[in-house]
Amino acid sequence: MKYAMLVYGDQSAWQELSGEESARLRAQSMPRWIALFEELGKADPNVIGRELASASEAKVVRVVDGQTIVTDGPYAETKELLGGVFITELADLDEAIRLAALVPTAEHGTLEIRPLVTR
Amino acid sequence: MEFMALVYGDEAGWERLSEAERSAAYEGYVAVSRDAAAAGALVDASELESTAAATSVRVRNGEALVTDGPYAEVKESLGGYYLFSCDSIEEAVEWAAKIPAAWHGGAIEVRPVHVDEEVAA
Repeated sequence: MKYAMLVYGDQSAWQELSGEESARLRAQSMPRWIALFEELGKADPNVIGRELASASEAKVVRVVDGQTIVTDGPYAETKELLGGVFITELADLDEAIRLAALVPTAEHGTLEIRPLVTR
Repeated sequence: MEFMALVYGDEAGWERLSEAERSAAYEGYVAVSRDAAAAGALVDASELESTAAATSVRVRNGEALVTDGPYAEVKESLGGYYLFSCDSIEEAVEWAAKIPAAWHGGAIEVRPVHVDEEVAA
């Protein structure tokens, strides 16, 4: 079964930090991310993982009457924003839950697991 | 550079469509994948099952809390994504504008993928 694991976290907390401070926190959490990537790689060697750039760099695209309208994003005005995505093929939902709980962001944000549609 | 195009649409509206309307829309989604792949601009794309099939996981005080349902109850939810490889965000926006949801009251959020040399896994 294929799953998307959507990583939601509070980006504003990061943006308030100085570059130095956020680099320090990133370095601090790095061993746990590396441990996660190892586990994910064991579960699915073809896992796709992408971290998204800050929502302030997002563009929102709509087409109205054939005209493309582009606004600065993000699309949803929620406190926690999508910050990354994993796409994995796993045995079952329990395995997806186990791996989601290993994502460091799960400790302050939310991991949403969604099965992918297969056709 | 990579860009993720997040497809937001009204799930209930999608379910209200007739079978013929839905299959026409599908063709539109498949066409974007096909054309982007032919242009060497497609890395990956998938449709997500509805938010009714979502499971949310939070870890608080070392304990995993698992709940049914999506992270947020919003009218327009994430329904799928395309991962594009493009030279610029403008090019990614052009691909995004071809995605059917953009034409049908939904919206496509285009986000650059963060590049971190340390985690280039």
